[in-house]
Amino acid sequence: MTRGSERDSRPAGAVGSIDRRSFIAGAAAAQAAFVLGFWLPPRAAAQSGRPLPPGASWYEEPAVPEVNAWIVIEPDDTVTIRIAQTELGQGVWTSNAMMVAEELQCDWSKVRPQYASVNRDAREMAPPWTLEVPGDGARDPRGGGEPAFRNRARTGVSGIPDSLYRRMRTNEAASVRDGRYYLQLAGAEARERLLLAAANDWGVPVGELTAKDSVITHGPSGRTTTYGRIAHLAARTPHPNPESIRIKPPSEWTLMGTERANLDVPMKVTGQTVYGIDVRLPGMKWAAVKSCPVYGGDVKSYDFEAVRNMPGVRGVHRFPIPDPALTRGRVFAGGVAVIADTWYQAKTALDRMPIEWDIPPRSAAFNTANMQAALLAALDEPGTVRVDQGDVDGVFARASRVIEATYSTPYLPRARMEPGNATVLVTDDRVDIWIGDQSPQETRFSASRITGIPEERVYLHMCHLGGGFGRNGNGPQAEQAIMIANANRGTPIHLLWTREEDFIGTTYRAMSVARLRAALDDDGFPLALEVRIGMQKNGFGPDASFDVASRYHAPAYRFSIHQPEFHVPVGTRRGVGQAANEFYRESFIDELAHAAGRDPYLYRRELVARTDLPYKDDMIRALDIAAEMSGWGTPLPEGWARAIALEERGVETGGSATISAMVHTVSVTREGRVRLERVDVAHDRGFGLVNPLSVMKQIEGQITWFYNDAMHQACTVEEGRIVENNFHAFKLSRIDEDPPEINVRFFDTQHWLVGMGHDRGTSVQSAIADAVFQITGKRYRDLPLAQHDLTWS
Amino acid sequence: MALELTVNGLPYSVDVDPATPLLWVIRDQIGLTGTKFSCGIGQCGACTVHLDGRPIRSCILPVAAAEGRRVDTIEGVSADGSHPVQVAWRELDAPQCGYCQSGMIMSALALLRANPNPTDADIDAQVTNACRCSTYHRVRKAIHRAAELMRASGEPA
Repeated sequence: MTRGSERDSRPAGAVGSIDRRSFIAGAAAAQAAFVLGFWLPPRAAAQSGRPLPPGASWYEEPAVPEVNAWIVIEPDDTVTIRIAQTELGQGVWTSNAMMVAEELQCDWSKVRPQYASVNRDAREMAPPWTLEVPGDGARDPRGGGEPAFRNRARTGVSGIPDSLYRRMRTNEAASVRDGRYYLQLAGAEARERLLLAAANDWGVPVGELTAKDSVITHGPSGRTTTYGRIAHLAARTPHPNPESIRIKPPSEWTLMGTERANLDVPMKVTGQTVYGIDVRLPGMKWAAVKSCPVYGGDVKSYDFEAVRNMPGVRGVHRFPIPDPALTRGRVFAGGVAVIADTWYQAKTALDRMPIEWDIPPRSAAFNTANMQAALLAALDEPGTVRVDQGDVDGVFARASRVIEATYSTPYLPRARMEPGNATVLVTDDRVDIWIGDQSPQETRFSASRITGIPEERVYLHMCHLGGGFGRNGNGPQAEQAIMIANANRGTPIHLLWTREEDFIGTTYRAMSVARLRAALDDDGFPLALEVRIGMQKNGFGPDASFDVASRYHAPAYRFSIHQPEFHVPVGTRRGVGQAANEFYRESFIDELAHAAGRDPYLYRRELVARTDLPYKDDMIRALDIAAEMSGWGTPLPEGWARAIALEERGVETGGSATISAMVHTVSVTREGRVRLERVDVAHDRGFGLVNPLSVMKQIEGQITWFYNDAMHQACTVEEGRIVENNFHAFKLSRIDEDPPEINVRFFDTQHWLVGMGHDRGTSVQSAIADAVFQITGKRYRDLPLAQHDLTWS
Repeated sequence: MALELTVNGLPYSVDVDPATPLLWVIRDQIGLTGTKFSCGIGQCGACTVHLDGRPIRSCILPVAAAEGRRVDTIEGVSADGSHPVQVAWRELDAPQCGYCQSGMIMSALALLRANPNPTDADIDAQVTNACRCSTYHRVRKAIHRAAELMRASGEPA
C-alpha cells in the first residue's frame, strides 16, 4: 500500500504555474474552504469537546440550544463549557470549567471544555447579571472578590468590560480572580433555569426540586429527570430575576478546591492537541518571514528573482513595521515574507534571498554596555519620585552606617516553546484566524483595522498555546499574518516564525538596574531606605509591586524611577517587573541582615512586624511556616546554604493578595556548580484555590523558571540587535537543574488571591545569590549568575 | 525523487528534497503533527522521534538519512494513551502547555527501553529535552512511575 503517496498529493489548484498571479487564488479556494468546514481534524474535534457537523466551524451553535452563553447540555448529559481564556499550560481549560460546573451541579465526568467564540464576543453584550460583582470585595468569602475590569474602554486594545465573554485575555495570572464570580454565576443561572424548566414541566413548585450530578429530583414524589432531558426546555425558560442568584462561598464548594486532573492532559500525551502550528487548511500556503533584526528598522531592498524558481515558491510579500497602534505602542520591525507550498520551502528560499535592511542609526548605536551605562547614569538624575516618606536626606546625612548596593538584570524574552504563528484567510467580507493567542480581542481588532472588515466579521479559531508567559499578543505574529493574507485574499496563509524570528517578534522584560541604600541604626535595622530603579520608558513594571518600605519597615523611605529611552520593545513577561524588583528587594534585605549580623529570616520577620500592613500577620506566618518546613537553622553540609525570601503581591491594598515565602537550600561545589537542592514553600490559600493541582504545578514550574533566570538567561544587544536568538546561546534549564525536593504547604488566609501564575518563585533569584555569598564569600548583584566565577576553596 | 520511509510501522513514499529535515516530512508530507518544531537547530528536543529505536532530533536530520529505516513518533506510542508511559504521564498530570511533551515522552521511552530502572542521574543524562513551563518535577516522577508500570506489564523493549 502506498498510503504515503496518497497523503502526499497536493490539494487541487495548489500545483501549477509559479507565477504570482496564480498564487493569489480567487474565490474558488475560499469557497472550498467554507464547504469543507475549515478542515477540522478529528483531534481538533476532540479538543473542542465534540464532533462538529460538516460546514460548521468549531465555535458554531451546537445542534441543541445553549442554556446560556457558557453552557450547552446534550441529551446524553454531556456538558459543554465554553472557555474564554486560552490554555497555555496554566490549567484554565479545567479551572474555568470547574467554576461553572461547581454551581451547575453537573456530572464532572461529562464536562467537555470548548473555546468560547471570539466573534460572538464582538456581536453580543454580556448578560447584565454578570456585570455586577456580588459581595463586599476581596475580604468577603461570599462575594466575587476584586476583578480588575475598572477603567477599561470598549476598544480592542485596552480590554472590553461588557462584551459577551468580557475578559478574553489570558494575562496577569488573573483568570480566576477576574472570572470566578461570573463563571460561578453562569453555572448557577443555568442550574436555576434547569430547575425552573423541570418545575414548569411537572407543575410543581421549584422549591421542591434539587439538583445533583446532572439529576433533578422532586423530593415529595421522588420523580427524577436529567439535565440532558430538560436542557431544551431550560434554553427557552428565562430566569425571572437572575440578579437574585447567589454564588456559593468556599465553605459550600464540593468541586472547586479539589485536585482535578487537567482535562486536556490525555490529548497532550498522544500528540493530538492542536496548537496553532498544527493547523492545516485546503489550499493553504506557508509564509516564512524575516524582519529587520534591529527594532525600528525596515526592508531597504530584496531580490525575489533570485529565489522565484526555487521549489514550491509562490510569492513574496513585503510588510511594513506593524502599526504601533495595534501593538500597544511597541515598535517592531518591517520585513519580508516568502510564500511557498511548504514552510520548509518558504524558509529555504527566504534564507537564500538577498535582503538589505534599512536600519535607523539611532537604533544601531545601542549595545548592552552603553544601555547599561545610560541606566546607571539615569540613577544619578532626580528621576520621578513615586514615594517620599519621612526625612530621607536628613537621616542619611546623620547616619553612622550606610549600606548601598547596585543590582541589575538583563533583557529577557519569553521564549515559549511554540514559535509565533498564525493562519489567516481573508476574503472580501470575512476574516478567519487560527491562532493560539493570549489576547484574541486585540487580534480581532487588529484584523479589522488591517483589512477594513468589521470586527463582527472576524472569526478567531482558538488553539492551545505552546507556552505563553506574557501575552504573546504583544508580538506581531497575527498582524504580520493578517497583512500577508490581506494582500492574498482567498488563500489561507500560515505564517510561522523561525526560532530566531521569534526572538525578534517578542517583547522583552526590560533590562533594569536598581540602587538601594539604607541607613542603619545601632541594631542594624533601617532608619531610612532609598530605592532607585532604572528601566527604559514603557518598561512594564518599574514600580510594579515594588514599594520596599511597605513590605519591610523603614521610618523614612524614598522610591524613584529613572527612565532613559531605548529601542527594544518591552512588555509583560512572566513575573513582569516584579520578578526583577523582588530580586533587588530581597537581595538587599539579605545584605542588610548580614551587615547587621542578624538571621535573615528573623530580620525579615522583625521588619514585617514593624509595618502596619493589613496582611502583615499573613506574611509573618508565611515566613514562619517556610522556615519551619526547611529546618531553618539546623546544620547543613559544607558547601550548602539556605536562603529565605518573601513573595507577595497586593499586600499594601488590603484587598486581593497572594503571599508566599520560600526557603531555598542550595549547594555550590568547589568547582562552582550550583544546585537548587530543596525548596520549601509556604503559600497563601486565601479563601480557597480552585484547582490545587494546577496551583502546585504552577509553583513547581515557576521555581525552575526563575532558577533559569537566576543562573543562565540573558539577551544582550550589539549594534542594536538581540544577540542570543536561539537555544544554543540562550540557555534553557533542563531536568538536571530541577530541584529534587519541592515541599508546598498551603495556609488559610481571609482574602481572595490576586493570582499566582506568574510571580511565584521569584525568590529563587535572591536566594541563590545569597547562598553563593554564604558559601563562596562572593556577592554578585547582576544576573545571570553563571557568568561569574562561583568557585571556592 | 521518491523516498521510502517507514513511520509507525506504515510505509510511505514521499517526494521531497532529500535535504528536507525529517521533522517537516513527518509533519507536512505524512501529516503527523504531534512532533513539534521549536528551535530548528537540534537543541531543545521538541522534535524528538525514534530512528531505529534511538531518539534523535528530527529537525536537523535530512530525510534522506532516514530512508529505509524505522521512524517512530508520538502517534505510534499508542493512539489511545494506553502505553504505560502515557498512563504515568496522566497519573502525574505531567504536561503543562504540552508542546514539548511529545519529544519528552519519546526521550523517556527510549531511556526506559534501554534501562528499565533508571536512576535520577540516568534521567538527567538522557532526557535532555527543554520544557519552558519547567514541568520537570512531574516528568521525573512520571518516568519513575512509567518504569514501574512497564516492569509490571512486561512491556517489551
